Amino acid sequence: MNNNDIRTLRRKVESISSLPTTPDVLKQILVMIEKPSISLGEISNFISNDPALATRILKMVNSVIYGFPGRISSVSHATVLLGLNVIKGLLIGTSVFELMQKSMLGLWEHSINCAITAKLIARRKGLKDPDDVYAAGLLHDIGKVILILQFPEEYEKVMNEINMEDITISEAEKNHFAETHAGVGSWLAEKWRFPLNLVESIKYHHKPHLSKNAPLETAIVHLSDILVRAMGLGFAGDPFVPALNPTVFEYLDLNENDIKEILGEVEDSKSVTEELSL
Amino acid sequence: MPKISVDKIEPGMKLTKPVTRGNMVMLKEGTELTEHMIIKIRNMDLEKVSIDGPSQNSIPKEERLVQLDMRFKNVENEPYMDLLKKLVREHIEVSYEQ
Repeated sequence: MNNNDIRTLRRKVESISSLPTTPDVLKQILVMIEKPSISLGEISNFISNDPALATRILKMVNSVIYGFPGRISSVSHATVLLGLNVIKGLLIGTSVFELMQKSMLGLWEHSINCAITAKLIARRKGLKDPDDVYAAGLLHDIGKVILILQFPEEYEKVMNEINMEDITISEAEKNHFAETHAGVGSWLAEKWRFPLNLVESIKYHHKPHLSKNAPLETAIVHLSDILVRAMGLGFAGDPFVPALNPTVFEYLDLNENDIKEILGEVEDSKSVTEELSL
Repeated sequence: MPKISVDKIEPGMKLTKPVTRGNMVMLKEGTELTEHMIIKIRNMDLEKVSIDGPSQNSIPKEERLVQLDMRFKNVENEPYMDLLKKLVREHIEVSYEQ
């Protein structure tokens, strides 16, 4: 198996929906998401037909919109309010992460907190669609899940290396794969027909200065990832806070007080994130 | 405000979130629980309720500050990281004052 060849790696990653270990429900979701002309109605029917899935999605939806569960009780209402991309994001997020709660315990908590933080910052910066940024925050580390799923043994070496050598997860991934989780995640986001701003914020969340089409969204996901790690919420593969890109941080133009308030708001959302645990 | 299992609620605890059934509020936020209410809550098929009190503070402050140092140890000298660390440290300290 040669994971150092980027084309081979990409092909294997993209075939995730045919992995024997991928549960049927997730396979169905992935097939549906990849269809070029999926409608909100189709997605909403699919979700409604699976009570467990519907409950989970409604919990998420309510937390995205109101900050707490319980107000919206119908899937079709939810899909109309949030739109196709966010619903797709929630659907993939909950079902993919559920698969791997055991292999990287805490990644879901990290991702949910990142999603909430990203939305808080997006709102503060007056972005038109803060919920899209929520979806980007939720899925930014999806590449880690896919790499673990597709290459469990190789990824275990990555995890061991982090523990032994005090390096970050991206550095360890580079030693074993031709691409890091950020790039891998963006391949899938493209395959799942997410819009360019979502693809770029996943692809460049560690190199936000490279984003051409979604610099603001990418900067927000970059900072959210760092803030959540700084607060020690969840676990994202290694215990270290990555460095901020200073130019991007200046571009976001947040002062000390803004950041203090954001930290407070994330803290206040804790009961929500606990409720959303898988 | 931690969420605790309904087995562990005791008289005198205060709700930080309403207990609801569907769209109906059964007990308002701020309600001080009595024996009678606790029996009702336990019959309601709920797993957890939100109760007033410290949440993450079951870990001693000193330990959380040590963990914070550890998380930042590779990036202390990077631009703005000292600022972020200071803000998170203050955030943790304030949460222990309440």
